[in-house]
Amino acid sequence: MRPQNSDMGLIVKTMARATIPLIGIFGAYVIAHGHITPGGGFQGGATIAGAGVLFLVAFGLSEAKEKINKNFYSVLEGIGGLVFLAAGMLGLGVVFFYNVLWHKGPVFNGEAGTLLSAGYLPIMNLAVGLKVYTGLVSALFAIALFRRWKK
Amino acid sequence: MIAFQFVTAFLMIFMGLYAFLYKRNLIKLVLALNLVDAGIHLLLISLGYRLENGLLPTAPIYTGYETLKGTPMVGPIPQALVLTSIVIGVCVLSLAMALTINAYQHYETLDVSKLRRLRG
Amino acid sequence: MNVLPWLIITPLFGAFSMPVISLLGGKFREHWVVIVSGLTLGIAAKVFYTIWKSNEILVYTLGDTNPIGNGVKFPIRIIWEVDLFGALLALTITFVSFLAILYSLEYMKHDTGLDKYYTLTLVLELGMLGIVITGDIFNFYVFLEIMSIASYALVAFRNDTWEGIEAGVKYMFVGSLASSFILLGIALLYGQYGTLTMAYLAMKIAENPTLISKVALAFLVGGLLFKSGAVPVHMWLSDAHPAAPSSISAMLSGLVIKAGGVYAIARIIFGIFNPGLHSYLKAFDMPALNLNTLGWIIIFFACLTLVIGNAMAVVQNDMKRLFAFSSVGQIGYILLGFGIGIVAYGDKIGEIALTGAVYHIVNHAVIKGLLFFIAGAVIHQVGTKNLNELSGLARRMPFTTLSFIIGAAAIIGLPPLNGFASKWLIYESSAMYNPILAVIAVIGTVFSLAAYTRVLFTFLGVESEKVKMVKEPGNAMIVPMLVLVIIILVMGILSWQISDKIMLPTAKMLEQLNGEYIMALLKFMGGG
Repeated sequence: MRPQNSDMGLIVKTMARATIPLIGIFGAYVIAHGHITPGGGFQGGATIAGAGVLFLVAFGLSEAKEKINKNFYSVLEGIGGLVFLAAGMLGLGVVFFYNVLWHKGPVFNGEAGTLLSAGYLPIMNLAVGLKVYTGLVSALFAIALFRRWKK
Repeated sequence: MIAFQFVTAFLMIFMGLYAFLYKRNLIKLVLALNLVDAGIHLLLISLGYRLENGLLPTAPIYTGYETLKGTPMVGPIPQALVLTSIVIGVCVLSLAMALTINAYQHYETLDVSKLRRLRG
Repeated sequence: MNVLPWLIITPLFGAFSMPVISLLGGKFREHWVVIVSGLTLGIAAKVFYTIWKSNEILVYTLGDTNPIGNGVKFPIRIIWEVDLFGALLALTITFVSFLAILYSLEYMKHDTGLDKYYTLTLVLELGMLGIVITGDIFNFYVFLEIMSIASYALVAFRNDTWEGIEAGVKYMFVGSLASSFILLGIALLYGQYGTLTMAYLAMKIAENPTLISKVALAFLVGGLLFKSGAVPVHMWLSDAHPAAPSSISAMLSGLVIKAGGVYAIARIIFGIFNPGLHSYLKAFDMPALNLNTLGWIIIFFACLTLVIGNAMAVVQNDMKRLFAFSSVGQIGYILLGFGIGIVAYGDKIGEIALTGAVYHIVNHAVIKGLLFFIAGAVIHQVGTKNLNELSGLARRMPFTTLSFIIGAAAIIGLPPLNGFASKWLIYESSAMYNPILAVIAVIGTVFSLAAYTRVLFTFLGVESEKVKMVKEPGNAMIVPMLVLVIIILVMGILSWQISDKIMLPTAKMLEQLNGEYIMALLKFMGGG
């Protein structure tokens, strides 16, 4: 029987080292193109969380305990939520979720169908993606740490 | 033509309800909750597919928009509703799994009919 | 008009910034959460005062100033539509939540993981506030789920005891199934009529009521009766409310089953399936829904809930479980008021019944908050909640016993306190409509009198072993109880003024004999 905190062998670890950055890049593509193709904040965040879980499973719990810092992930989650709320409050002079950046803003003002368009939507996608990634990885890491079986 | 998407959606809802009422393992109950949710999501998404002028609608992808002018797209509102509902389903699933693990630690069993210490 | 989005922004900002603030230490976190909930109370009071003075419905669109889209004639944006009923409930929710957070500053001192507790409490308050101000049916479902998930996590907060986990498992599985039923009803309504805005949906249902709208109404009302704790699906309530920490029990029993249960039933029946519009159409021989059947079904379940809830409260040994069953019984009164308001629509009887039901929602929130705070004080000082071991508490904790006497007298319905006015309105309307219902209501009151007298005699008895060493709890737990006692006494003395000036216009606006809920949206659609 394998002890509890071990990793999954050399072959799995090598393949994980190759695949985790590729999953990360694909997830970043899904987040960034949320206003043109199907995708967006939650889907991209869940994909990158898949990379995080692959790291947790392939490299074992002891390696993960050094790399993942719970307080840092909680703070990042809070910052993601605050950026989302701030993007919604930008046009508060008119109404609550008014898309000021699309109607008269500096950068996100291009024509419909290009990457730099649709007002505050790319900012909100990035904020939600960060929040979903940190939330899912902290939740699964907390479940993996739960080892209080009475024997 | 029988609309197979609606029949499948209702079949999934009924299977989920049957599993929720007649099975006793806690993990099977969690899976049954997710099956009911999946049936409702299928029902909601298939409401967005509509024929317009006899043309079949396509998926809403905007790159290369100029070549696609004129073809109708599927309705976007049911997709937003289902996306929100999937997020809610993921939250409920993770909370239910955490509670199941805690229940196994306290009661040493996963049988729901043994969780009967609060009575009266 | 401009202050309405701050009602949602403030708790959301407080909840999201809690992980950042709690890096700076415990004291800072407590100050922050009290400031955030106090600000929310001020904003809710301002919204209530604005709507009460001008007596018209406030419509706020998200995303642009006009809910109608470009070049089409129907609303496409999410709107928030607040009438007097919603504003009154928002004021009650923020008031009781502020007192519960003040109370839990001292009650939860011995627990760990407190930053998650305060985050979840703020998210629970945010969910309830979102439910009472929204005018869009899917937005209502999202806020309902936010509130429900926060309450599942808070019931199972003490996960080192078996009681919290068992109650959390039972509450969570039943609650999720009920939410799925509500979503099924919403999906059927959207598929048939193509819109999600409540006022526009009311117009479209009146034009074309089909079988699918009746099935959707059945699913919606069934799911919401699950969530409000009506008999025969009340079993989760008697396990979940005692297992939570006492400040959260006060919020659950006083606010969650009202905002997520009874308020939603009233809004769906009176706002979407408008009985006045349908009986108006029936006079012209056009196809219309008959809502009398639904009213009688609600009256039937309300009578069952009254009798069984209050009767099960008499035989309990556990103090918080007794209070939870008493909550089930009081929900029966509120549902009885709403049921009579549906079947007697348009008469004076229906108006009185609706006034009684709305008044009882506010009264019961305040009284149950006080009772659960007392239970929490007793548990915190003595260490047990079994009534057999708690005798003779009156000599050691006199202020707590006095508050309990006032709270029990208010919930039974004794005259100079606020419970008397709302119960009297429900008795009067049910006696005028059908005397059997009044007899059942009085039987329910007799059972609750028996239950609370039993607890009172236990408190005033001979001192037992465990209570020899206790004293009164600290300041942060006494001040909320004192505020609630003063509010109960003041509301009792001024009860007829409150009923005439606040509750009667609320019932009139809910009943909307002139279709005010729909008219407020029609103003945008080219002067209807």
